[in-house]
Amino acid sequence: MTKQVVYSSSPEDFYYMDVNVPCQAACPAATNIPAYIRALFEGRYDGSYSINHMANLLPGVLGRICSRPCEDKCRHGEPELGRPVNICHIKRAAADLRRKGPPPEPGPFASLGKKVAVVGAGPAGLAAAHDLATLGVSVTLYEAFEKGGGMLRYGIPEFRLPREVLEEEIDYITATGAALKTGVRVGIDVAIEDLLKEHDAVLLAAGCYRSLRLDLPGEDLPGVHPGLEFMMQVCVGKPPRIGNKVLVIGAGFTAFDCARSALRLGAEDVTICLRRTEEDLVVTKDEVIETKTEGVKIASLMLSRRILGKERVEGVEFVRTRPGEKRGKGKGEVIAIGGSDFVLPADCVIVATGQRPEPLRLAVGDKKEEVLKADPDSFSSTMKGLYVAGDYLSGPSTVIQAVGMGRRAAERIIRDLIGKPFREKTVRMEETEITDRNRAWDYVPRQEIPTVQPVQDRFRTPGTEVETGLSPEQAQEESKRCYLCYLHYEIDIKRCIYCRYCIDVAPRDCIKLVKEVKTNEAGAITGFTETTHWAEVNAIMIDNSRCIRCGECMRVCPVNCISVTRVELTERMAQGGDHV
Amino acid sequence: MSEEHFIVIGNGPAGHHAAVTLRLEAPGARITLISKEPHGCYRPHLLPKWISGNIKEEALYVCPVEDYKKMDIKFRSGQKVVSLNPVQRELILDHKEVLRFSGLILAVGGKPRIPEPLLVFKDVLFTLKTLEDARVWREEVSQVDSVLMMGGDLTSLAVTKALLRLGKKIHFMVNEEAFWPLRWSLSLFEEMSHRLRQKGVEVLADQRLKGITRKGDHDYEVKVGRQTVRAGMMGAFFGLRPDVRFLAGSGLRLDRGILVDEYLNTGFKGVYATGDCAQIFHPALRDYWVSVGHDNAVELGRTAALNLVGNTVKAEAAGKCIYETQGIKVNTSWWTEF
Repeated sequence: MTKQVVYSSSPEDFYYMDVNVPCQAACPAATNIPAYIRALFEGRYDGSYSINHMANLLPGVLGRICSRPCEDKCRHGEPELGRPVNICHIKRAAADLRRKGPPPEPGPFASLGKKVAVVGAGPAGLAAAHDLATLGVSVTLYEAFEKGGGMLRYGIPEFRLPREVLEEEIDYITATGAALKTGVRVGIDVAIEDLLKEHDAVLLAAGCYRSLRLDLPGEDLPGVHPGLEFMMQVCVGKPPRIGNKVLVIGAGFTAFDCARSALRLGAEDVTICLRRTEEDLVVTKDEVIETKTEGVKIASLMLSRRILGKERVEGVEFVRTRPGEKRGKGKGEVIAIGGSDFVLPADCVIVATGQRPEPLRLAVGDKKEEVLKADPDSFSSTMKGLYVAGDYLSGPSTVIQAVGMGRRAAERIIRDLIGKPFREKTVRMEETEITDRNRAWDYVPRQEIPTVQPVQDRFRTPGTEVETGLSPEQAQEESKRCYLCYLHYEIDIKRCIYCRYCIDVAPRDCIKLVKEVKTNEAGAITGFTETTHWAEVNAIMIDNSRCIRCGECMRVCPVNCISVTRVELTERMAQGGDHV
Repeated sequence: MSEEHFIVIGNGPAGHHAAVTLRLEAPGARITLISKEPHGCYRPHLLPKWISGNIKEEALYVCPVEDYKKMDIKFRSGQKVVSLNPVQRELILDHKEVLRFSGLILAVGGKPRIPEPLLVFKDVLFTLKTLEDARVWREEVSQVDSVLMMGGDLTSLAVTKALLRLGKKIHFMVNEEAFWPLRWSLSLFEEMSHRLRQKGVEVLADQRLKGITRKGDHDYEVKVGRQTVRAGMMGAFFGLRPDVRFLAGSGLRLDRGILVDEYLNTGFKGVYATGDCAQIFHPALRDYWVSVGHDNAVELGRTAALNLVGNTVKAEAAGKCIYETQGIKVNTSWWTEF
């Protein structure tokens, strides 16, 4: 029997995906996480990699250094359900365990006869170039540095991201036809205006390469290094001399990379100084643990006031802070506590408090420099044909955000070039069988990624990768933990006999006797009014936002009135063409 | 019904005395005391003496469990809080039960700290914080002739005394990071090493743990710097760290401990933290501090309870022994007994 497949562009189905597949909704590149985890469980490593690659283009890279917004939303991490699935490292396992070679690409598509220049071969530029090239655009990437990769190559240390992994995935992108021209500084060697004349569109994705300053007395003393410049020197193998005692001021990934790199350069006493607390850090928990394991200290609630020293840096004067009111989703302000100043001595201070984009000259020889702005939805600037994306547009973000933005920018450029959308988001629904998932798998402990031990072995060479990757057995065990939220369980109330067996076996309050169903304007279910009085019961419903897809309800149903549908957010050619 | 329901989480000295004070100050209120340990309040600083057999188990307990019933305090032992919502004023226990409260005192205490670089060895390191830990120590110690002590916190000294009383051979790897709550200094290290050696303890010159190899049952080969030591078991004594991970994401301000003001309030109305899980900025010290030790815990427990029922009593930091460790000042009242 042929299974029925339905594609929907209805807002209620997009709403459903947002609420019920929280990991995919949280991924800026909309990676189909349940699908790739299931593929890995089934031993289809190539398929798992391809599902990833389809959305985020850099599975091997992201499997190592992604900021993992998906794991924060994973339903397995809800208070009574344990810890989130180790989604990121399953992605890496797929990349590690697959057969080597480029993944399948969409198309081939006929040439659109259009030329686009992409400025910057970092994650946003690479993602945009990939999508433009695979859809039939002639693309040239202009990169100021000697090699492509942007911040991935020049901002992230090799012990977190081996360069061969990065190079392999950049090669896959350039193999789609995007030409990479390195060592070309746009604004100096070639003018944006000239690029606009030679191409149908230009996408500026030049990243954020200017470190923010603290603007404190003493910041220009020898021995004080801006964080990004320090990391770039480390990444090209020309690190500065740092001495024994290093203070890193900052709280982001760059600060942590600086601190861990300082240890590898021989520093014996490295401290990361936070204005807030460890609780407020945005870096991943694994990163914090590994950093501490290597011996870096993390000191909190301190604000730098002055950098001290005569000939070179000798220390930093701090003042204690207390957290102020939180406003909305922000971190809240930090309040300096008067009269609580103290000094920490240092041979070297690394200031890693953020970056901003470099101002550019529009024409060669122009004296005026500016940071180009654009509309964050359309990516269009005030100059016709010039688009802006990635960190250059948004300010410092994560790699996965940059990839997602690069892809959206490419989509917009194509739409503007050909006058209609090329592809569209859609919700794909397919009837499916109950999986072999069972309740016991909910109690499988999270499989943590193994690391090089003892710690001293990590320092033998600066590029020794710290995380060694999940074994096939560990990866499969971890993949069992995924609830597979893309499965939608539904009761056919016309056939239901209201025996309530399903409610009896439900592991949490996921099946409800319902008096009324609440919907939003789009018609999507947003909630239920439950009742315990039989006279008021109008339906028995599975609340998929609470369901952990254990399948127990389906197994006990005496009349087989519960069905499973695989519901996936995916892309297809616009106007109902082939699946992309 | 608008009955007040006060919940105290943690039944150490701070939590116990908070609950008792609440009962005295709010006779009509419902009071619930939650402890993840399966027994009543005991005196943790006496555990080393119990390990060595110097005191009986009964001497550890502050009061019989039945006393809570007499005081009309609902005592929930062996139950663990996994989540807190201070805005909704509810908490979730690990068996999924939701409890609602009008006032809450967090007195969850600390748990043994093992420095991250040594976490790789945690499965073979014994720590001592709870009565259950002490039971394990009693069992294990009876099967070994020698023990390698790592660290240098106050509990380590008490345990060393206890083990010497039992006639065990002690190797001691004094660790710079572990002078807790006292701060490391060369003179303190030398004094401590001298005292230990006088009592027959072998103090190791190095403090770099290179590796542990299991040679058989209760037989480990430990590489410390260039030295190799054989020991039947290893103890890790690197101080305590507040046991507050379950509060991550709750909205409470967490640093090493729960950040509170000088009245022990967390910033949420009716939610207080006390004992050695509370981290306070004290203007007189010009820095943050936490309190350790039985006497301080009792006092802070009472202070939190008084403030919860409407008083404005400041947590006392002056007049006690203040030390600095891990960037935080520590107020301790019981270190001098060692």
